[in-house]
Amino acid sequence: MSLKILSVDDSKTIRMIVKRTFAPFDATILEACNGEEGLAAAAAEKPDLIVLDITMPVMDGVTMLTKLKENADLKGIPVIMLTAESGRENVAFIAKLGVRDYLVKPFKDEQLIEKVNRVILLQKKAA
Amino acid sequence: MPPVAPAEDLAKRYGLESVPESVRRLGLLVSKPDASTEEVAKLISSDKGFTARLLRAANPRAASEEDYSCTTVEDALQRTGMGIVLLVAMYDPLMAAVQKTFQIMLGAELKIEAHPLPFEHEHVLCEIGFVGKATGTAALRLTTPTALQVAARVLGMSPAELEDPAVVDDVIGELSNMVVGNFKSNLCDANLNCKLSPPAITRTTKFELRSAEGTLAQRLGLRAPDLDLFVDLNVNPWSE
Repeated sequence: MSLKILSVDDSKTIRMIVKRTFAPFDATILEACNGEEGLAAAAAEKPDLIVLDITMPVMDGVTMLTKLKENADLKGIPVIMLTAESGRENVAFIAKLGVRDYLVKPFKDEQLIEKVNRVILLQKKAA
Repeated sequence: MPPVAPAEDLAKRYGLESVPESVRRLGLLVSKPDASTEEVAKLISSDKGFTARLLRAANPRAASEEDYSCTTVEDALQRTGMGIVLLVAMYDPLMAAVQKTFQIMLGAELKIEAHPLPFEHEHVLCEIGFVGKATGTAALRLTTPTALQVAARVLGMSPAELEDPAVVDDVIGELSNMVVGNFKSNLCDANLNCKLSPPAITRTTKFELRSAEGTLAQRLGLRAPDLDLFVDLNVNPWSE
């Protein structure tokens, strides 16, 4: 069965890059453009992994992560942060909330694949 | 919940880059607001690149080094005060963030232009404000063909496929977010905590670099094949 990866980012550009990055793999990319939509999508789809931005309108990534970890049904979903935020204090604060990995924008497709592959085993699509 | 490692250990675990030297220097300058001119001059003079940029900023009308009226770090400090030092110290990480972002996202090696030509036509302007212990605005200015080229390369498309200007704007906004987000993280690491405003993208023919009252501004032009842009930084070094 195809893996489900939820990309939560207010930037269509990032969501397009995430989709392109995982196109060769047997993975379905779900999209949400803020934390509120991200939580709803996580509850409805139970993705295998969430790739989460921090600065977003309506609900930011830190709030979404906090709510996700408070929800017994969703707290087990692994989260990788994908954000331009790399200030040491903020990274430490977010790590405390419980993330599997952290990737700072700008990033290369291969870096994202490598980090995701450490959490869920990606399989190439059959030819 | 498992215990969380100190910030530097976490940075290593996540593969984050170490805090750049330019950011450590900015932090040092910020942490010593009452430092003497001699102390600050000594700190600056140990870095030739920083000294050169400070002297360039202290001689804004000079066409070349031969025209400098202010030729030493001490001269520059006497004449301009700490404000210019902080502006140049903040500009360094901003410029590094621009070059890194364009290198990683587009594979473009941007070089600083010694004498860039001003934009004479309508161009794309993306401004992001920051407020807190550091307050100001960072802006990217790109020619319209550059903006199109940048968007196409980031998305892996041809410029002809990009018919919707909103898609181009989204790419430019996101690149600017990456640049200024990194810059803001650097400011926070230098104890200049601040928050960002969302990017504002406009098309304008106005090109002059304006400094609002109490603020200082610096601009550099950057170039790579097919790409022309300017990076503006406007800061109030005495915001807090």
